[in-house]
Amino acid sequence: MKELNIGLVCPYGWDTPGGVQIHIKELAEWLISHGHRVSVLAPVTDEEALSEPWLVSAGRPIPIPYNGAVARVIFGPLASSRVKQWIAQGDFDLLHLHEPAIPSLSLLAGWAGEGAMVATFHASISRHKTMNVIGNGLNPFVERITAKIAVSETARQTLKNRFETEAVVIPNGINLRKFENSPAKAEWVSPNTIGFIGRFEEPRKGLQVLIDAIPEIIKSKPDLKILVAGPGDFEDFAKKIPDHILRHITYVGRLSEEDKGKFFKSIALYVAPNTGGESFGIILAEAMSCRTPIVASDLPAFTALLDDGKSGALFRNEDSGDLAKKIVTLLDAETNRSAVAQAGYEKAMTFDWDVVGSQILSVYELALVGNDRVRLSSDNRFWNRLRSND
Amino acid sequence: MTKTILIIVFALLLGAWYLSFLASRLDRLHHRVETSWEHLDALLQRRAAIALEISHFAAIDPATSFLLTAAAYQAREANIIERSDAESALSETLKLIRTEEMAATTASESDILAGLVRITEKIAVGITIHTEAVNTARNLRSQFLFRTFRLAGHAPLPMRYAFEDDIL
Repeated sequence: MKELNIGLVCPYGWDTPGGVQIHIKELAEWLISHGHRVSVLAPVTDEEALSEPWLVSAGRPIPIPYNGAVARVIFGPLASSRVKQWIAQGDFDLLHLHEPAIPSLSLLAGWAGEGAMVATFHASISRHKTMNVIGNGLNPFVERITAKIAVSETARQTLKNRFETEAVVIPNGINLRKFENSPAKAEWVSPNTIGFIGRFEEPRKGLQVLIDAIPEIIKSKPDLKILVAGPGDFEDFAKKIPDHILRHITYVGRLSEEDKGKFFKSIALYVAPNTGGESFGIILAEAMSCRTPIVASDLPAFTALLDDGKSGALFRNEDSGDLAKKIVTLLDAETNRSAVAQAGYEKAMTFDWDVVGSQILSVYELALVGNDRVRLSSDNRFWNRLRSND
Repeated sequence: MTKTILIIVFALLLGAWYLSFLASRLDRLHHRVETSWEHLDALLQRRAAIALEISHFAAIDPATSFLLTAAAYQAREANIIERSDAESALSETLKLIRTEEMAATTASESDILAGLVRITEKIAVGITIHTEAVNTARNLRSQFLFRTFRLAGHAPLPMRYAFEDDIL
């Protein structure tokens, strides 16, 4: 395939950690390592701290509540003009928009650009009535997108319900070699250590469900240790937790990518008690690639990722009693645990970047057919055409 | 009086602008229907060629080879009406060869098999994009404004191909 010049658009603040941002970063790196040129447009809080040469800032993101979490996005006239400038100067073969159906940079780029456009839909959104109304208004926009990618079967279904549109399912890529040689960290290793990573203050991440399960687990595992990692104010969060429970919990702060590998290699079990809003569970796949056994809530996305419980254990969503039971069973059965971990590892291998990246490239190839380079759609309006003919 | 005329003129202009917006939406979709079909067609032709090559493999028994050759020729020669049936038949026949069992008799043969896997993946994406374009275009054309103002012009109605979901 010939060398492509690709423009990627990230809707969320680049310096806030999140699955979409990491996906875009790794996709960009994979594409560059395969000889393509890439430019990423994203909202950035601290422009001084940027390290990636291919990143272009669209301004500071604004936090807005969206889908039960806080999304750091950007829109408005200033962002809009930056998007146009980026498209005009970029001379792209193709635009790849991420999560374009929310009010964000991706939506702006999709309106401003004309040509080959691929969009990846990450979220599975609960079917709010208001969302459907907005969905109808977005139809002309969704039509402009040449090829749509959903990161999971649930995300594809969401898309189908909202816009009656069909998408190709390509999962998020994981850099499996990233954690391959991570060592375990001695201070985190103990036989009954359970890990949790995420913005613990957000209810839908479900840390409370895990905390409610602790009294039941310590009946048979008094040396239980729960390692919590992720951004947020833990001291504030811990105030609500009674002391005899809190002493089983250790907060290790926000993890660097390097420490994340060590984290997974150290713990005996990884628990994902999320109560909703997940469409894939990239963190689970990362844990699986480290051969860490998983216990996760039975959200559709997790059920699919864990092959109905073959590649990891599932518990009834928001049911702390069931969670405690599943955790104790797995901690007790060493052989079962390593079988689950092995199955999880093999499942995770199908998300390796080399597999996922070449699938994305074939979507690009098909989207490019019959399209010239990406231009500004305003160049195409007839009064602008008249003017340029003078 | 002039005010009323102005309002009417403005409303007419707005209406005209909206219709041209709708027409350009439909035009873009028609364009996509054509280009995505051309590309899909090319991919399917390449698949038929690969199927013919596989039918000459030493490891293939004569009966399978015969079936494969026949299916590949039918897919190549099919006219528009028979096309989707012929392609589905070729997909079915290709399923008969288990890629794992066939594993590499010679290097060039394993190259061809890998090529088949790649092209199968692309065809799946191509079908999604094409059927999507056809459905959206047909859906728009059936809407009131599009019919009343004949926004489709002389463009032929995009044809639906009966690609089965499990075609590959």
